[in-house]
Amino acid sequence: MSLATLDVRGSIATLTLNRPEQRNALSLDLLAALAECVEELKARAARAGGPKVVIVRGEGKSFCAGMDLKAVLGASAADNSLAESLLGGLAELTIEIRNLPAVVIAQAQGAAIGGGCGLTCVCDMSLTHDAAKVGFPEVDLAVCPAVVAPWVVRKVGAGRARQILLRGGLLSGAEGAAMGLFDRSLATVEALEDEVATLADRIAGGGQLALRETKRLLNDLDGSTDAEIVRRGAATSASVVASEEAQAALRSRFG
Amino acid sequence: MIRVETEGDVGTITLARPRTRNALTPEMLDEMRGGIGELGARVGAVVLAGEGSAFCAGFDLSLCEGSPDGSAMRDLLRGLDAVVRAMRACPVPVVVAAHKAAIAGACALVAAADFAVADRGARFGYPVVLLGISPAVSVPTLGPAVGPGAARRLTLDPGLIGGEEALGLGLVSDLVEEAADVGPAALALAGALARKPRVGVAATKSWLNEIDGAAEAGDAGLDCSLGLTGGDEERELLRRFWEGRAGG
Repeated sequence: MSLATLDVRGSIATLTLNRPEQRNALSLDLLAALAECVEELKARAARAGGPKVVIVRGEGKSFCAGMDLKAVLGASAADNSLAESLLGGLAELTIEIRNLPAVVIAQAQGAAIGGGCGLTCVCDMSLTHDAAKVGFPEVDLAVCPAVVAPWVVRKVGAGRARQILLRGGLLSGAEGAAMGLFDRSLATVEALEDEVATLADRIAGGGQLALRETKRLLNDLDGSTDAEIVRRGAATSASVVASEEAQAALRSRFG
Repeated sequence: MIRVETEGDVGTITLARPRTRNALTPEMLDEMRGGIGELGARVGAVVLAGEGSAFCAGFDLSLCEGSPDGSAMRDLLRGLDAVVRAMRACPVPVVVAAHKAAIAGACALVAAADFAVADRGARFGYPVVLLGISPAVSVPTLGPAVGPGAARRLTLDPGLIGGEEALGLGLVSDLVEEAADVGPAALALAGALARKPRVGVAATKSWLNEIDGAAEAGDAGLDCSLGLTGGDEERELLRRFWEGRAGG
């Protein structure tokens, strides 16, 4: 079974993170599978009659538990290649999703944590449900959410992003929506799925070019086309992961 | 006029000039800048608070009365800009305990903070254009804090906003009911932030500083405010302000 699946039905595509037994945590394999799906989406959405809307969802109870921090236990400045690959992979994935010529909707049907919550922020819209766990606990684990920070800043503004990222911890979906991290939080998972389906249908009623060009303009205006800052974020984040303090915090949590 | 104290992992800088609602002087600003720099190296979070009925009413404009060439105002603006930069450069989170009022220069401190706690009845804003003074010095940090649209309104409209609206804009991070609750809530928040591992917090704060655009503005905000200082309009409007005070 593939770690990421793509299902295109007419003008609506669904991209599914399919690693449910690991809460869809972002391993190198999952990142590679997602990159492949996004590459295919890019080609198909660029064609006339291709998908205009992409729904991103997670299989199972979690949307995405974020980076697999257990995997980078033992990283050091001398050997930090895994952290660099994971964070670099996440950076490239977010850049590609932001630049997809289709409207992307995150459907966070369960936990969206750290890089997983960042993945929802890079989407054009994001919805969740009240009881989902969302947020950025990176600072509690002595690491730094630098890859996703530019997307969080664009989603909620720099002031709110500062409060959310420095405070760490987790929020409920309802609290996340109140902070602007999500556009809406529905009462139940079923209501969420219904709402996303309705929203996708409504958007897919729009013109393909109108949607694509509007998204392109929004990306130009809000700095989303600056891919370098996201890549530098990956380098920043990886160097923090390799620090002794971060490794000590990770050991006491996972070791 | 400033107290610098440490309790556990939290450092507190208290403006202690309550009879003037903690009106800021160049000396106070210089001590604040020094205090933030010194605390940032040895605590896990810094609280900026004000003693008495309100956090801070902004600059002590009485200093400008005897300084028609604008030198006192220039010292105040430069001092404020230096404090704002010190707040950003501080590697640990800075929490402002903004009870009752944070006006003009004090609102700039709120905008530059990582977190601000306030009461529902607190008032925020920049009424200084009425005095011929430009709040531009605050714009590089206010803009990212509340977004460009709200920053435009807050600096050009001399009216004040309340605690709830400030929370909605993101200027305030935590709202409490009563002014008396602000200090304890700010200390509790600072305590929780101080317990987090320092390296992640410091790296995250420094990365946010790099990407939020405030640093890119450079000296443009300060230079804009300085450019009006000592000019005819400012002199005239300040003179009318003092006459009104003396008369009223």
